[in-house]
Amino acid sequence: MIWEAIGFYSLAIFLIYFAYKTISATNPVHSALYLVLTMMGLAAIFYNLGAHFIAGVQMIVYAGAVMVLFVMVLMLFDLKAEIRAFTRGMFSGLVKVMAAGVLAGLVIGSAKNSVVVVETGAPGQMQAGVDVSRQLGILLYTKYLYAFELLGVLLLVVAVGVVAVSRMKGGTHAQR
Amino acid sequence: MGTDAFEITVNFLKMVLIFLMMVQIVPLLVWVERRGSAFIQNRFGPNRVGPLGLTQLLADAVKFLTKEEFIPARGYPFLFYAAPVVAMIPAVLAFGAIPLSMPIAVEAFEMFGHQWGPYSFAFQSYEIGIGIVFVLGVSSLAAFSMLMAGYGSNNKFALYGALRASAQTISYELAMGLSIVGVILLFGTFNFLDIVNAQSGPMQFSLLGQQVTLGFLPNWGIFYQPLGAVILFAAMFAETNRLPFDLPEAESELVAGYHTEYAGFKFNMFFIGEYGHMLVASALMVTFYFGGYTLWPFLTPETAPKLVGGLAQWMGGFGFNVNTWTSVLSAFLLHGVFVLKLALFLWIFIWVRWTLPRFRYDQLMDLGWRKMLPWALFNTILTAVVILIMRNNWSA
Amino acid sequence: MPSAEAMLNIGLSHYLFLSAILFSMGLIAVLMRKNVIVMLMGIELMLNAVNLSFIAFASQNGNLNGHIMVFFVMTIAAAEAGVGLALAVAIYKKYHELNIRFFEHLRG
Repeated sequence: MIWEAIGFYSLAIFLIYFAYKTISATNPVHSALYLVLTMMGLAAIFYNLGAHFIAGVQMIVYAGAVMVLFVMVLMLFDLKAEIRAFTRGMFSGLVKVMAAGVLAGLVIGSAKNSVVVVETGAPGQMQAGVDVSRQLGILLYTKYLYAFELLGVLLLVVAVGVVAVSRMKGGTHAQR
Repeated sequence: MGTDAFEITVNFLKMVLIFLMMVQIVPLLVWVERRGSAFIQNRFGPNRVGPLGLTQLLADAVKFLTKEEFIPARGYPFLFYAAPVVAMIPAVLAFGAIPLSMPIAVEAFEMFGHQWGPYSFAFQSYEIGIGIVFVLGVSSLAAFSMLMAGYGSNNKFALYGALRASAQTISYELAMGLSIVGVILLFGTFNFLDIVNAQSGPMQFSLLGQQVTLGFLPNWGIFYQPLGAVILFAAMFAETNRLPFDLPEAESELVAGYHTEYAGFKFNMFFIGEYGHMLVASALMVTFYFGGYTLWPFLTPETAPKLVGGLAQWMGGFGFNVNTWTSVLSAFLLHGVFVLKLALFLWIFIWVRWTLPRFRYDQLMDLGWRKMLPWALFNTILTAVVILIMRNNWSA
Repeated sequence: MPSAEAMLNIGLSHYLFLSAILFSMGLIAVLMRKNVIVMLMGIELMLNAVNLSFIAFASQNGNLNGHIMVFFVMTIAAAEAGVGLALAVAIYKKYHELNIRFFEHLRG
């Protein structure tokens, strides 16, 4: 129990520190690199919670693909540290932070007071002794098959759209 | 990690030893690379320092350690220092998850007046159930070291090199991952040990629901996944940034790519990272397609204990259990098989490097996105369809 | 102040607290930063925090539906990052700056 607590708290402090650095670093490249560390910490927490496959996918998709894309785009622009990185206004900034805090408090309060334990036997219930990744795959291709196929269509549409936006000859690009 | 002091100690030592083994293999590989390139190009190579030029490596190490420490004045020192360290991490972590031999079973014994229970030690740094996903996830972090080095140096050539390198790495990662999907479909598991165990017997497959055994061939993945093996091997060259895909450090265009500003031991750490990637690539090829540490019908986890039986009897006379000695000796015998296969693939890496010319950048991207990715997708779909048809029991 | 035992006994509520803190940090990044790409990173942070609460609930209930939902969220987050970065490139091409206030000029 004590080791579990030490593991959790050290990971939590790690995560909160790097998330703070992500939003406070004035150089966007630095904040992207801090975000990578946050993602890796989250992967470790997922692994601790028994979601081994999801932890691996988090490393591949977020840390390995999405964040590399972010860092590459930032480097392509060759951005230096920004002088005015934050929005203006002391008071409005304070209000924004407080609003975020209140929202988080509301979410967590309602979530904590409305936990319903799913009755056993419902689809998706974990079976002991069977590989979790195998169960996950079976669930993905039976109950959630249509959602999965729709996701594939969405990815195709997004890929075409991104190519169209970034290669646009008219519109914003032509006015220069 | 383990349940008692003995198990924790052994597991910890295992990690350290495998890491040291991996780092120590690098100078040897550099020597093989230089002598091998000289052999291919009909030269002598380094042959002055020590027998066969072997101590050239020590001289190089001294040179690396005594060079000037240099930081670009307008760069980012933290990123500049962190990049070489990050370059080593993916290769080291990934290599630790690959089984180098069969697990060692230690029977109960008595030491220091204590009864130490039976153990089973995997012959790898740590055993992770989702081995393949872990290796893919960790090796996808390799792009960051290049990006950090390029940005930290604050130098145009380094930045161009870093952007090229990371674009290349993430493009070829897609083809790599998709070609591994074929292996996952074939063996139905993410676990390296299960994959190797499935390949340790004679060739055995299901033909329209009937079990067929071909006694003269081993059950290696290469016979089921030849296309996947070729794509994976080619993608691995791009992942390790070696010729014919060494665009990021193309000397004639970019000075030295993302490590332009690096000298001394920091440069050497990039070197260790690159050779570590080579090791991981070879180990993955051996594990997925060439039977891992088994060599049917001569050396498998079943036949190895019989071969070492006599020696284990003799060593059992000095203490410990005969069964423990049998297990240890057969594990090391199978490790020798693994190392031989690994050496073969490492030599192919070196051989290709000094034989093929470099691609142009547009040819590289074209090959990655328009040729290898579609072929890898085709391989995945073909494997799935064939497995569906062949493993279905049609007569029922 | 909760008791020491409650602090040490790691359960669902600890993960939910962590998830809420990370979510609010992502929200603050979206509200307060001016750089489009950093705002996108804030959105990624928020999605990650939600993923954490999904996984925590899944492990609490012994149910795999939460894992599936995380899988979907990750896919959509990757797609969203692609579109967002393409828009950021479009802004940068025109103004050579990544400030959010140029976003409204993208019409037509």
